[in-house]
Amino acid sequence: MKVLKRYGALYVMMAPVIAYFLVFAYYPLVKGLQTSFQNYRLMGDRPYVGFTNYSDVLHDSTFWDAMVNTLVIGGGILLFSFAAPLVIALSLNEVLRTWYKKIAQMILYVPHLLSWVVVGGIWIFLLSPDSGLVNMVLVHVFHRTPFNFLADASWARWIMILLATWKEMGYTCILFLAGIVSINPSLYEAARMDGATRWQQLIRVTLPQLGNTMKVVFLLNTLGILRIFDEVFVLRNPTIATKVDVLMMYTFQKGILDIKLGPASAASFFVLLLTLALTLVVRRVTRFDEV
Amino acid sequence: MKKVLLTMSTIAVAGTMILTGCGSETKGNDAANTPTNTQSNNAAANTSTGSSSNETANAPAGDMKLRILDANVGGKTPEENTQFEAEIKRLTGIEATLEKPASDYDQKVLTALSSGEKYDLIELSDLGTLATFVDQGVLTDLTDFVTKSSVLSDPTVIPTKEWDQLKDKDGKIVAVFSKFQGGTMPIVRKDWLDKLNLKEPKTLDDYYNVLKAFKEKDPDGNGKNDTYGLSTSDLYDIQGFMSSAGLKYRYVMKDGKRTIPYATEAAVPMYEWFAKLVKEGIMDPNFVTNDTGKMRNLFLTDRVGMVTYWDAWVGMFNNMRTQEDPNTKFQAEALNGIAGADGKVLLRRGDPDFWIIPANAEHPDAAKKFLEFWHTEPGITLGSLGIEKVDYSKSGDTYMLTDMGKEHNSDHGVPFWYNENVKAPFGKLPGVQAAQDIVKQNATLELSLPGWEDAEKIVKNYALKAMSGQMDAAEAVKKMHDELMSKNLIDE
Repeated sequence: MKVLKRYGALYVMMAPVIAYFLVFAYYPLVKGLQTSFQNYRLMGDRPYVGFTNYSDVLHDSTFWDAMVNTLVIGGGILLFSFAAPLVIALSLNEVLRTWYKKIAQMILYVPHLLSWVVVGGIWIFLLSPDSGLVNMVLVHVFHRTPFNFLADASWARWIMILLATWKEMGYTCILFLAGIVSINPSLYEAARMDGATRWQQLIRVTLPQLGNTMKVVFLLNTLGILRIFDEVFVLRNPTIATKVDVLMMYTFQKGILDIKLGPASAASFFVLLLTLALTLVVRRVTRFDEV
Repeated sequence: MKKVLLTMSTIAVAGTMILTGCGSETKGNDAANTPTNTQSNNAAANTSTGSSSNETANAPAGDMKLRILDANVGGKTPEENTQFEAEIKRLTGIEATLEKPASDYDQKVLTALSSGEKYDLIELSDLGTLATFVDQGVLTDLTDFVTKSSVLSDPTVIPTKEWDQLKDKDGKIVAVFSKFQGGTMPIVRKDWLDKLNLKEPKTLDDYYNVLKAFKEKDPDGNGKNDTYGLSTSDLYDIQGFMSSAGLKYRYVMKDGKRTIPYATEAAVPMYEWFAKLVKEGIMDPNFVTNDTGKMRNLFLTDRVGMVTYWDAWVGMFNNMRTQEDPNTKFQAEALNGIAGADGKVLLRRGDPDFWIIPANAEHPDAAKKFLEFWHTEPGITLGSLGIEKVDYSKSGDTYMLTDMGKEHNSDHGVPFWYNENVKAPFGKLPGVQAAQDIVKQNATLELSLPGWEDAEKIVKNYALKAMSGQMDAAEAVKKMHDELMSKNLIDE
């Protein structure tokens, strides 16, 4: 009671946040778990069927195809969207002209602000085989025949990986730059006094000092790899679907298009469990607790 | 914790009730302020006459409320939608709330139903979804209502045979049509044909020659090689061409066995034909990624000479270009599909658009009354021309479209209807009648069996690869067939 009196105002302030999570996160989660054990009909009785939905999903070859696609595309995005912004952040850090640095950051950051619907539309247009900029360069500069990037299964996964990297590069780059700025300048001064070159300063001072930021970025990216959806939804078409349909797309198709909500819920719980497992592994491997 | 939850639930429920109450009252007032006139009296008379044999539809409309979720019916803007609700109130006395999501309609329907939201009428347009909803216990049995209704059971209002489309496996009627649904076919630039002295194509070779000429002979006369012969946006739209090999899209039952003609050897030469068009630059190379909007734009902006699309759009294309430039030479015309070896033309008739009354509807009586009204003259006028004094004005028996009405192409959810007793006041848009004649003569519904959603992914994947030349047609058909067999989606 004393505690309540003392911190009452704080509890009141927390209430909306707790209510938000209860209503919009935990209630749907529990409801979804319940649905995954039911023969869920839109109306009428909804009998419990044990693990049948989970078993159906595990015996569905489409689920495993989606799993492979998710791991390949998600893994690719994880690696590229970690490495590319790091390289750019380190490069921008070497730029002395502030105006150039700011403009470069702004240009890099803009795609992050746009939704996938907009970004997808832009790239569908840019990659168009007849009037797209990419193909015009290929034809007029490199004298190659036009290529239908978005209809070729061999390019499909690369397109997903590279576009996701391009879109989120600016945001991650800013996180890295913030990390670089916070490095103690005396470390560089000491390194210079010891005769370290720029490259040695980068390898021996900047990167090790950036370790904690890198761990956070890597963990945040890991949380998202199994949940890729918007990009695939916007950019997919029937000719590349087998190469890009990911787990969330499988869930969407089962639940929304096929109206099989039980198996869809079961599949989404697999995604949840896998994300949890993956996060725990990354935390352990990166020793995240030491950040 | 229990108390907290209880309090929160009470607040949420109370909040919702307050908001709902406010919303209804506003609309009620708007509707009440709308003057009634002779037409509304006629409408009421028509409706009540139509439902004379039906108890529910005869209920007084004064206190009736109706919550509708639909994709096509209503105003073109939120403002016009509000006016549409008021017009329903004026014509029927029913206080209707019309929810028309701007996008992702199917998801909205599913979310609404699975979360227990209560609508009195929901508009759908897919027979596969109807079958699923039957299995999921969503639908109200409307057999008694339809058979006893003097409006809906009248074969001049809706031909008796048409009801077969909306029956469940036990023969019960579970939905009511919202409009007459047409079909798809090749649509050509007739002015380009004339300009290049070409005849309307009949055979596959004729089509090839026409499409090639559209590509190579600068039909738009701008001196640039910037036109395509053909564009399309989905596999079902190429039915008019596949007809030449006697191939029907989706399932065809053969001696009691499930077959998919697009996955048979007979389809190989057809895929090769399309691949040839793509290779020679005659076909729009974006056809794999096109949506229908992009395809339409290509046609309307003189970039392509032929598309595969709905009969109603023949008129819409012509009307849109005429609205833009009254002196335009643009002329879209429907073409028949190519006859097969047996002389038969196979075209696609679209799944019907229809209304359902969900099992949890709060006002089924109002819904039934509205369904009857929808098939009477005032209902059809509202669904086609739109709202009086907004989309059109009426003086005696003469109708006059406003600028907004002209813009809306006489389509507020019902561009065409079944009721033979109701004539279109402005006739049909140019080219539509000929297109509909083709549909009536040759278009049939596609057969969608359980598992089609999975089968379609496989069919589209390989067919589009073969058509775009990414994969040899024979190899694509073999792989398609093998995969369908291995997943038990076809029997032979």
